[in-house]
Amino acid sequence: MDVGISILVWLVLSIVLVFMLLTGFAYTTLLERRVIARFQSRVGPNRAGPQGLLQPLADGVKLIFKEEIIPASADKVTFILAPLLAVIPAIVVFAVIPFGSSIELFGVKVPLTLAPNMNVGILYVLAITSVSVYGIVLAGWASNSKYSMLGGLRSSAQMISYELAMGLSLVALVVVAGTLDLNAIVEQQKQVWYFFLQPFGAIIFMITALAEVNRAPFDMPEAEQELTSGYNTEYSGMKFALFYMAEYIKMIVISALSVTFFFGGYREPLPLFLTQALPFLSVDHTPLLGPLYFGLKIIALLIVQVWVRATLPRFRYDRLMKFGWLVLLPISLAWVMITALVVLLRG
Amino acid sequence: MLNLEIIIFGALALITVVAAVMMIIARNAVHSALFLVVVMSSLAVFFLGLWAPFIAMVQVALYAGAIMVLFLFVIMLLGAERAGARLLLAWQAPLAIGLTVLVVLLGALLLLNTAPFEVVDLPAAEITEGTAEAIGQALYSVWLFPFEAVSILLLVAMIGAVVMTRQETRQEARDERKKKSL
Amino acid sequence: MAAKAAAAPVAELTGPLAGLKEKFGEAVKPGDFEGVVINHDRLVEVATYIRDELGYDYLTSVTGVDYLAQNEMEVVYHVLNTRAGGAPLVFKARTPRENAVVPSLITVWPGADFQEREAWDLLGIKFEGHPYLKRILMWEGFSGHPLRKDWKEAYYEQDVKPFDSRWPGGHHRRAEDRVPYADNVNFPADFDPTVYTAQADAAVYERFKNYEVDERGQFVPKEAVKDENGNGKFQEYLETDELVVNLGPQHPSTHGVFRMVVALDGEKIMHLEPVMGYLHRNHEKIGERNTYIQNMPFTDRLDYLSSMSNNFGYALAVEKLMKVTPPERAEYIRVIMAELTRICNHVWAIGFLLNDLGAFFTPALYAIEERELILDLFEAVSGSRMMCNYFRFGGVARDLPVGWLETCRELVFNRLPKKVDELDYFLSENEIIRARCEGSGVLTGDDAVKYSTAGPVLRASGVAYDVRRAEPYSIYERFEFDVAVRNHGDVYDRYLIRLDEVRQSLRILQQALNQIPEKGEIQAGKKQYSARVPAGQAYGRVEGPKGELGFYVVSDGTANPYRYHIRAPSFINLTALGPMSVGQKIADAVIILGSIDIVLGETDR
Repeated sequence: MDVGISILVWLVLSIVLVFMLLTGFAYTTLLERRVIARFQSRVGPNRAGPQGLLQPLADGVKLIFKEEIIPASADKVTFILAPLLAVIPAIVVFAVIPFGSSIELFGVKVPLTLAPNMNVGILYVLAITSVSVYGIVLAGWASNSKYSMLGGLRSSAQMISYELAMGLSLVALVVVAGTLDLNAIVEQQKQVWYFFLQPFGAIIFMITALAEVNRAPFDMPEAEQELTSGYNTEYSGMKFALFYMAEYIKMIVISALSVTFFFGGYREPLPLFLTQALPFLSVDHTPLLGPLYFGLKIIALLIVQVWVRATLPRFRYDRLMKFGWLVLLPISLAWVMITALVVLLRG
Repeated sequence: MLNLEIIIFGALALITVVAAVMMIIARNAVHSALFLVVVMSSLAVFFLGLWAPFIAMVQVALYAGAIMVLFLFVIMLLGAERAGARLLLAWQAPLAIGLTVLVVLLGALLLLNTAPFEVVDLPAAEITEGTAEAIGQALYSVWLFPFEAVSILLLVAMIGAVVMTRQETRQEARDERKKKSL
Repeated sequence: MAAKAAAAPVAELTGPLAGLKEKFGEAVKPGDFEGVVINHDRLVEVATYIRDELGYDYLTSVTGVDYLAQNEMEVVYHVLNTRAGGAPLVFKARTPRENAVVPSLITVWPGADFQEREAWDLLGIKFEGHPYLKRILMWEGFSGHPLRKDWKEAYYEQDVKPFDSRWPGGHHRRAEDRVPYADNVNFPADFDPTVYTAQADAAVYERFKNYEVDERGQFVPKEAVKDENGNGKFQEYLETDELVVNLGPQHPSTHGVFRMVVALDGEKIMHLEPVMGYLHRNHEKIGERNTYIQNMPFTDRLDYLSSMSNNFGYALAVEKLMKVTPPERAEYIRVIMAELTRICNHVWAIGFLLNDLGAFFTPALYAIEERELILDLFEAVSGSRMMCNYFRFGGVARDLPVGWLETCRELVFNRLPKKVDELDYFLSENEIIRARCEGSGVLTGDDAVKYSTAGPVLRASGVAYDVRRAEPYSIYERFEFDVAVRNHGDVYDRYLIRLDEVRQSLRILQQALNQIPEKGEIQAGKKQYSARVPAGQAYGRVEGPKGELGFYVVSDGTANPYRYHIRAPSFINLTALGPMSVGQKIADAVIILGSIDIVLGETDR
């Protein structure tokens, strides 16, 4: 395969991916609003289009035409930069996430990952998530508002604290998997999901991931009841929409990561006997099913996140920090040691 | 391909140097910190160019991610981001410029005096020093003792920091008691 | 104008008051009402005696009355005995109208804080010794003291309604049509409205600068804690890492236009200053212009979540003056409405407390579902869901519609008990709720009494004081129910006690629904368009959902009340907000406010 075609494939793939993420973001907002409405014995938005399917479009149009206000005493460059810094890392993480094995298109073998078989995949994920806090911190600082500032401070402290436990939960996974390559990790889960081998790791990862993306019950930085809207208090129009976009794309990202690490990635979520009986359901047989399975699993985890938000009140900030340092960190450390010991003993 | 590499290198180098200079001359501490982040990130890209993905990722995760966020946190918490318009030490700037020029010249001299450069284009598959496995192997075999020593050093530093802040709170508690007894 | 009450004067001081005469001699005189008039020189002394020796530990109401004809100001105090119960003890202090000064009782009952400020604000009575006698409901740019009888608004027409100008030739006409916009405001001579905002903030922050908060959250003048260099401790805080944050008036969790100025050290609250009055419309002045019956729908707008209960209090006060008793069936209807209101209010309070805790509307919406069903019942009897205007002097406006009792029984006997258990089951043991609520915003029993808190706030601190028991009104003595008490005084107990009270209300409702006569009068006497109220003064109080709701009405025999004062629990309970919040985290301030459960219509009046 010559370089030209590979660059073309890469371009097409990334455009498709970004497009899917943006649509996914739009419909995640709708999914959240509809699902949360059912939890609260309401109907939810159902007026724009059939079943409210055009609601995200209406929201987008509204936000585009809103007036953009930049506070007089804000740090203008940083103020404009912050929403971009929030969105870009969220999208960029997707480069290493495999959403399928590989398919044949017009005689060209196309891997369904932007950067396949990257042997630092997990590190890449950690690096990008650690950078993603900048958008929020800078928004908080640049707005020159006390609420925003408190939101920014909270988020930086929170993210640093929870990153540690998150990293450790992944260390345990790497010890078992023996690789940092996400494609390899997915393929290793052909028989058994890592969720069953690494239950603590998986739970800690999902909790910390919730904290990393500031979703309820860890939505400190934008705690509505205390900080009105926290870091994005002063934002309006499309810049506000970008923060919104970042939050929901991050939701998709952490769902995708959880699926990849612990729930078999794009592998079929079906018992073995079923795929043996009906082999065309297996990803090995029909690679095109990979993205479908992957998408379904992501939606399932998105609904879990919405469920959590509809159910739980918010932590208090200091307790959140205590929980991170005194509960999650020791447990994840112990879990790494136990995993290492078991792997060592079994050879 | 070589040309492309050189172009990328040149652009990155320019960005890095400009960001580094801006970091020093920015009057706003938060802006300085942001320029430092740019420097760190472009360093990570250099590492990538040198086929060292592991170091590159660690560079981003640790320096650009964790450490700089802590810097920002402290800057914001202290509210010290806006330094005064006046330079505190008037002789600082000329001295700094002079020293910089000196260091650059020295470096150039050193480089020119060493053996001439030779560009070797290695096939990607042959480069293994930068991978996670290679670094892990090295750290836990050859460099095990320094590695552990450094980690103990960091632990000691951390405990020291905790102890020092603790003392302050004890002092506060004593003050409280004194206030109450009055 | 015969402003003074013409009731038979009390010649002899009897009961608990007998000792007062002996001890203080001429300083205490019997008044022309059921109480005493105290010479203001010895007011603090006598008040201390009343608190310590007579056991009246709880100051429920402080207000003033302007007797223009006598050129006299009267400050009326109602105090209670929280242990023995019974009727409030009334005493007054009199002072000339010009330069009206009485000593502040804040040292005896710290709960006098806000009420004395209110009396200063609205009536211009100075309280000597009050540490922070600033306007509380009106803004700094307000000229004069509106409740003084000689205060006239711009475009003043007449003292009392109905205004003659409103129907020239029998046609209705609105005064607003004649009054040009923005021309109807007077400013004090030295006041410039264009620079107001900064001044208002400065006025609040001034308190931070000039006073130091002691460990109980009380203000003491800073001179008292100055060190040898003359620096106050608080000033030092402000210079290092104090961050002053305005929570409100535009804020999602202040339950309306309410502002808390919070001084933060990191996330810890060093001091909290409530700022209110954004919704102030001088309810009492409008009330004094209205006829008696016109005030009935106006009380709906006080605590707009529990209008039935407001109606009840006002009706009781006026009925005391009119000396009428409602017929049997009307009494039952009143109790049923009042208890339904309580359930309504408490499920709402619980739901929104959870919202303040950061639960995304789910508990609130489930609570609102039950409230809707009760509002349906209100709508059926009164035609309105929230502004019910259902009570009348000596009864209620109309009889219950056919089938109403059956719907109500179904709700009270079958649905609500289950739903309350459901709320309890899903919320009370939730880890996060317990972690956040337990131990935050603690108010000890002594402090609760001291700061004159009322209702669930008081009872959650272990003080079993409920007006329905302490001084039963209407027909409450017929029902079997427990006064819900919790002992920790934290946010969690204030949440639990609302569940308890809902259960007790259901008990009362079940008894009332079983006992209510099938048929009967619902109004004593015939319906009147304008109530004839004999001269006198009365304090009617009910145990509203938010606490003791009192109406102090002075009648001079005309068609309009001479003085109409409301003891608003939402307002007075806020006295304790500052002390409860100091030392807590900023997130706690929000839930502490939520646990007090205020409604700004009542706070600001």
